[in-house]
Amino acid sequence: MRAVTILLDGVAYGMILFIISVGLTVTMGLMRVVNLAHGAFAMLGGYVATALTLKGVPFLVSCLLAGAAAGAAGALAEVTVFRPLYRKAELQHVLLTIGLCFIAIAALTLFAGSTPLPAIVPDWLDRMVDIGYRSYPLYRLFLIGVGAVMALGVWLIMERTLFGAKLRAAVDDAQMARAVGINVSRLFFLTFTGGCALAGFGAAVGAGIMPLEPFYALRYLVYFLIVVAVGGMGSFRGSLAAALLIGVVGTAGRYIVPQFGGFLLYLLVFGLLLWRPNGLLPPKSAA
Amino acid sequence: MKKTALILAAAAAVFGAAQARAEVVKFGIIAPFSGPFAVWGKQFKDSIDAYQKLNGKMVNGHEIQVIWRDEGAGDASKSRQFAEELILREKVQMLGGFTLTPDALAVAEVITESKMPTIILNAATAIITRKSPYFLRVSMTLPQIIKPLGEWAAKNGIKTAYTLASDYAPGHDAEDAFVKNFEKGGGKMLGKDRIPLSVTDFAPYMERVLQSKAEALFVFAPAGAPSIAMVREFDRRGLKAAGIKLLAGGEVQQIFLPSFGDSVIGTISSVHYTESNQRPENIAFRKALVDQAGPDTVPDMASIAGWDGMNLVYETVRALGPRFTGDQAIAFMKSKTYESPRGPIKFDPVERDIIQNVYIRRVEKKDGILINQDFTTVEGARDPWKDDNPNAK
Repeated sequence: MRAVTILLDGVAYGMILFIISVGLTVTMGLMRVVNLAHGAFAMLGGYVATALTLKGVPFLVSCLLAGAAAGAAGALAEVTVFRPLYRKAELQHVLLTIGLCFIAIAALTLFAGSTPLPAIVPDWLDRMVDIGYRSYPLYRLFLIGVGAVMALGVWLIMERTLFGAKLRAAVDDAQMARAVGINVSRLFFLTFTGGCALAGFGAAVGAGIMPLEPFYALRYLVYFLIVVAVGGMGSFRGSLAAALLIGVVGTAGRYIVPQFGGFLLYLLVFGLLLWRPNGLLPPKSAA
Repeated sequence: MKKTALILAAAAAVFGAAQARAEVVKFGIIAPFSGPFAVWGKQFKDSIDAYQKLNGKMVNGHEIQVIWRDEGAGDASKSRQFAEELILREKVQMLGGFTLTPDALAVAEVITESKMPTIILNAATAIITRKSPYFLRVSMTLPQIIKPLGEWAAKNGIKTAYTLASDYAPGHDAEDAFVKNFEKGGGKMLGKDRIPLSVTDFAPYMERVLQSKAEALFVFAPAGAPSIAMVREFDRRGLKAAGIKLLAGGEVQQIFLPSFGDSVIGTISSVHYTESNQRPENIAFRKALVDQAGPDTVPDMASIAGWDGMNLVYETVRALGPRFTGDQAIAFMKSKTYESPRGPIKFDPVERDIIQNVYIRRVEKKDGILINQDFTTVEGARDPWKDDNPNAK
């Protein structure tokens, strides 16, 4: 029974990581742009959600609006900052996007203060429910549910729509996709916007586990990047598998052997990348 | 008659010259204004600016000028570099600041060589003041504020406890101080987990505490996101509902309470400054802060250290004039006793560490605002680590 608890905890955490990172995975796979500012878009969404919730907007509505706001910011950034960047080398991507990250941190510190934001998870969600053998936090079950819905949604878009088919084609071979008349830049714009929107939404619903503060953009970046690296760049299924694996193994490790909890996760990542350098489920282009 | 007038004139000239030689005394402060610890720099600055706004920038005709340096995200080498720059180029006469222990340790050599009186505004590892005879600390040490909590817990019917501490030096200090004094009082420890600083999901740790059936949980985590996630999980996982008492240190300062929500009500903590105390000095301090930084500002242990540190600088210039040696300044400051907004403070003349009251408080909701309410005061608390380790260098 204890194992079930650990599994639930781990999956809930993994789902948040998945919602936030999936956009990063797909955009990195599509355009090979190393976007270290991804956490900043997530953070922006979280801040918007908090501001709205404190003004009396219902929690779920403000989470959705947070996604919209982060998506809009992403769209704006794609047009103004990222587009000129595609042809540049990776070092320039890293420098520019980490710079964006610092700007976001400084701006939020200036406008919203440097202390972490108040909790916004509403009372109806932030309570214990009986799940048969014990009482368990409803909020975590909610996260698992939301994550599952999001994963299903993204899966349907990727696998069952023309847009998804084009996207997969472009990830596998961008040049070929262009040659057959797919507008890859437009695909990227849409994916980037969608990814940022998901990240903003994820940061908003996950704020109960990952508290929002200006340093959010960097604090969790390493986890988002692990999801991308372990899952395989550009792979939707890979990022889901990687996020859940990180959540469950990280949680189990900390529960069973807390004295090693810190590096068990990194050991796992190390091993996985040795075994599959391109990630768990890489798209065909990388295989 | 003529002679007297001449002497008078000469005296006036000399006096006038002395008056005209108003000097600028520079006080350099090294603190984080960016990065994850930016809240510290902001709080130092608000309270020091408030002090200067209230008391004026002049002491006996000499201007006190504060020079700020942002050492960013806890970069100890930068801290040293700024100290050198402030001493050599800016010609400061006093240094201050230092949020994290490594930041303070990094300047020990520099300030010893240059005999620079240096006021530590936070860095709380016990040993720091032994690293240079020019350090003086106005903040606290972790054993100083946590020891009373361990003793209180054992004395007040708590028989078993669990600790969760961040896995870095201050966390170890806090864990040791709590465990040692709790066990000395007859308490029994059921577990001591150390949590890596990178961890943000505390569910598995809280689950372990819940399973252990301990009566109380002592937590130590860097104030900010980690401690907030920790306390929220404590409540969300039903530890509070299961009757486990939550004990903490600086994690539940009033400034952070809104981030927790009502889950934090009932948390017991021990700290050297309670924001809600009704001493006249504290009321004046909070008013000065509001005048400077706006009605929403809430003081914390950084603010109080900035305020008292600035007071020491003013007192030193008032007593010694604008020119003094490092030895004179340190000798003067460590002999000071004074009614601070936190309560009476003085300094250990040998260790140059602050001696102050430690308050045990409980989080309550008053008029819709979450505050800490004192219920026990331990008077004149010293740093116990120094007494336990008389020869450690």
